[in-house]
Amino acid sequence: MSHFRTVAGKIEVSLSPEERLFLGDVLPLLAGIGARGSDPAADRLQVPVYLDDPDSNEEWWRLMGSELDAGRRSDRAIFEKTISGEGPVELSNSEADAVLRVLNEARLTLGARFGIDIEEDHYDLPEDSRQVLDYLGWIQEELTLELMRAL
Amino acid sequence: MLAQPTPVIVPDTDHDIDLDKPWQVVVWNDPVNTMTYVVYVFRKLFRYDEAKATELMLQVHHEGRAIVSDGPREQAELDCFRLHNHGLWATIEQ
Repeated sequence: MSHFRTVAGKIEVSLSPEERLFLGDVLPLLAGIGARGSDPAADRLQVPVYLDDPDSNEEWWRLMGSELDAGRRSDRAIFEKTISGEGPVELSNSEADAVLRVLNEARLTLGARFGIDIEEDHYDLPEDSRQVLDYLGWIQEELTLELMRAL
Repeated sequence: MLAQPTPVIVPDTDHDIDLDKPWQVVVWNDPVNTMTYVVYVFRKLFRYDEAKATELMLQVHHEGRAIVSDGPREQAELDCFRLHNHGLWATIEQ
């Protein structure tokens, strides 16, 4: 059974206490992302947008970087609210989208730090690392499919 | 989803801008984003139907990259922002 179902236009989220505890670790993970050049996660999340024009790239990141950061902070606040509830939590589609982006950001962060450069690297990970990514991927897939139904 | 990001080929250009030529937004292959998620993002951001979104996702997967939108530079920069906001690796080129 999925953790997510649409009820009267809202997405109902049902997580066990253990899952809420586990997902709580996502927030410090993301808050701890370092700077480009020193943290592979930052390098992955701040990839160049103009590959052949460093000046335009720098300008794009100057204009958009802080807005991206603000959006991520807002998404994480919604995520925190979602995993803090005791019972099922109801989210609007826009709030569920925010939760989805946080789950994806967490997987990108871990994937970068685990050194996943090609898809097959996933299978060479230590079991505990693979399990974390698999669990986040499973939850993310369920939510993606639920949101897709509303398109 | 996806295989190794394709190495960047730096074009031989002096960065002249052709005002009549549209800017293109490219999404690159990535080993962590899932196929379902990428299709969802393409459908949501660009209103593509499932078939078109899936076609673009598979192009990214198999060819390493796909052009997902084009238009004036400002629109391309905004589209690129929205893709980055969803964790996709997007670039802009002309």
